[in-house]
Amino acid sequence: MPLDSKALDTKDRAGILHPPPLPWNGREAERGDGGRRLFRPAGAGRLPDRLLPFALPGALLASWQAVTAAGFMPEQVLPPPSLVLRTFIAFLGDGEIANNLLVSLRRIACGLGIGVVTGFAFGLLLGVSRRAEAYLGPLFRAFAAVPALGWIPVLILILGIDEALKIVILSKACFVPMVIATLDAYRNIPARLREAADVMRLSPRTRLLKLTLPAMMPMLFGGLRLSAGQAFVSLIVVEMLAATEGIGYMMVWGRTLFQIDIVMVGMAIVGVTGFLLDALLRRIERGIGARMGERTGSHG
Amino acid sequence: MRKLLKAALAALFLTAAVQAATPLQAAGNPDVIRLGDVGFGFGTPFGVGVLAIADAKGFIAEEFKGSDVKLEWTYFTGTGPAINEALSNRQLDFASYGAVPNIIGKANGLPTILLASYGGTTIFGAARPDLDIKSIADLKGRKIAIQKATIIHWGVIDALKRAGLSERDVTIVDLKNADQLAALAAKSVDAAFGADFLLPLADKGLATIFYRSSTAGKTGDGFGAFLVTESFRDKYPEATEKVVRGLVRAAAWLGDEANREEAFTIWNRAGTPVETIRKSNDGGSLKDKYNLLLDDFFRSRYESAIAFNKEQKLTRRDVDLSAWIDPTVLDKALKSAGLETFWRKRDAQGNDLP
Repeated sequence: MPLDSKALDTKDRAGILHPPPLPWNGREAERGDGGRRLFRPAGAGRLPDRLLPFALPGALLASWQAVTAAGFMPEQVLPPPSLVLRTFIAFLGDGEIANNLLVSLRRIACGLGIGVVTGFAFGLLLGVSRRAEAYLGPLFRAFAAVPALGWIPVLILILGIDEALKIVILSKACFVPMVIATLDAYRNIPARLREAADVMRLSPRTRLLKLTLPAMMPMLFGGLRLSAGQAFVSLIVVEMLAATEGIGYMMVWGRTLFQIDIVMVGMAIVGVTGFLLDALLRRIERGIGARMGERTGSHG
Repeated sequence: MRKLLKAALAALFLTAAVQAATPLQAAGNPDVIRLGDVGFGFGTPFGVGVLAIADAKGFIAEEFKGSDVKLEWTYFTGTGPAINEALSNRQLDFASYGAVPNIIGKANGLPTILLASYGGTTIFGAARPDLDIKSIADLKGRKIAIQKATIIHWGVIDALKRAGLSERDVTIVDLKNADQLAALAAKSVDAAFGADFLLPLADKGLATIFYRSSTAGKTGDGFGAFLVTESFRDKYPEATEKVVRGLVRAAAWLGDEANREEAFTIWNRAGTPVETIRKSNDGGSLKDKYNLLLDDFFRSRYESAIAFNKEQKLTRRDVDLSAWIDPTVLDKALKSAGLETFWRKRDAQGNDLP
């Protein structure tokens, strides 16, 4: 077994617990020398940092393959990774994934757009005006406490089952974390900065662009990323309950057809898309932070 | 602490010993027999077919009188998919559900055996009262809600075909029962198809019933089967026969017109008002509806559902019907219950054979 010898080999060199490179992890398999080279330069037996995020998924994938190969679980309950991959390729080929993903992404874009813009405006209002906070704050908190799932039965009756329902649910899900983040960000602008701005008699415009927004930026982006995460959660919920297309529906359909591999393809797509969206937002955050002079620090 | 550990160990040994000992007596009876059915209603759901009658009137329990066998009944509101999952998790020994989901289960490798028909299900079509929908033909260009991959789905496509329409003439929206009601009320869809849970909507004036499968000829009604897992049948052939005997005795009881009203009150536990159940069974003989025979009619119904599943791409693999059906258990059960001649065998079109 080439896999075994390689595993021993790397273990010898590394001499520690890190798992050997997995042959089905495409990135490593491509290197031709079975990934051994990756271990060599480290010397001290440390995986290069860039590969660390892949270690756990790789190990999970390996145990998944092992469990299915050993037949511990019926194929209907836990299909082997190879079947999931085959389904993925088949769905990629016939446009099933592209169509559903497009529908889902459109919903996310609308919901995130509406929720974030209104959430930012509302949060700023609560932050700037004590009176607004006194009047609207408690109502907002009660509103926020009811999860998207709880709104669906009522909203279906009002809005029907079409796109409007999904957009409203998603907007609500994005709105709440954005309001809280904006409010906190505004409140946390250092008092000394405000005083300095007062002393310098900055115009409202300059004040907003040079002080308020840059100071709020890290927390705003925190809120934005939280909103995006919430949008994904709600998207899948709403698509699983009342939809006829989208990635969430594809997953429910897989369950109905008793083809768990379809469900798993859906899970993988949601996971990867969510990860990419988060990475994109982080990159934008860094870009904006750099442009604003990194004054506010604490970017991560 | 050590005492506790000892006690725990002892308990562990004991259960192991008991488990090791059971197969010896198992040749006769299992400890527990787990039965599953489609359920409706809030709180504790209940069934609306023969199996629910067998449960409520104790027909299967009677078969095991004097033994330690325990019966466990589960009614799944999630319908087909949930029952397939329970079977594959080995949480059920017997189950009764619609043909479309149980073909899906079989095609995906669930080791099940068909033991008997479960009879028929009436499928209803409800339309928005403000629209002029009086028959299936009026559905052209309309948006209709059904729960896909169920026997209702089969029934609707079949009804469309009989009315000279095809799937392309309508827009089908896949919705669960509760969402169907909401969607009709919100005018998101023009019509919905389902079981008798749609009827109360008409009583409230929120919909008009324009279709019922029982009036659409012998082949209009939905259908399904009572099945067992392969391992249970092989391990406990006698218990399997007893369960089926209890089931056919329940169906025979149901076929006696004198018990009609009592049956309705039993089904009422699933939440549908007795009046609605009475209306939904209006004019139909329960003996004909709950004919459990695995005759040519049953086979032709199942062949049609297998073809439907393939056409709709619900199944990827073929299902061999004759290998899936085991008529021997039912034959024995009918004989030992003295019910061999109670039901007439039907031809493929549903007409009684001489």
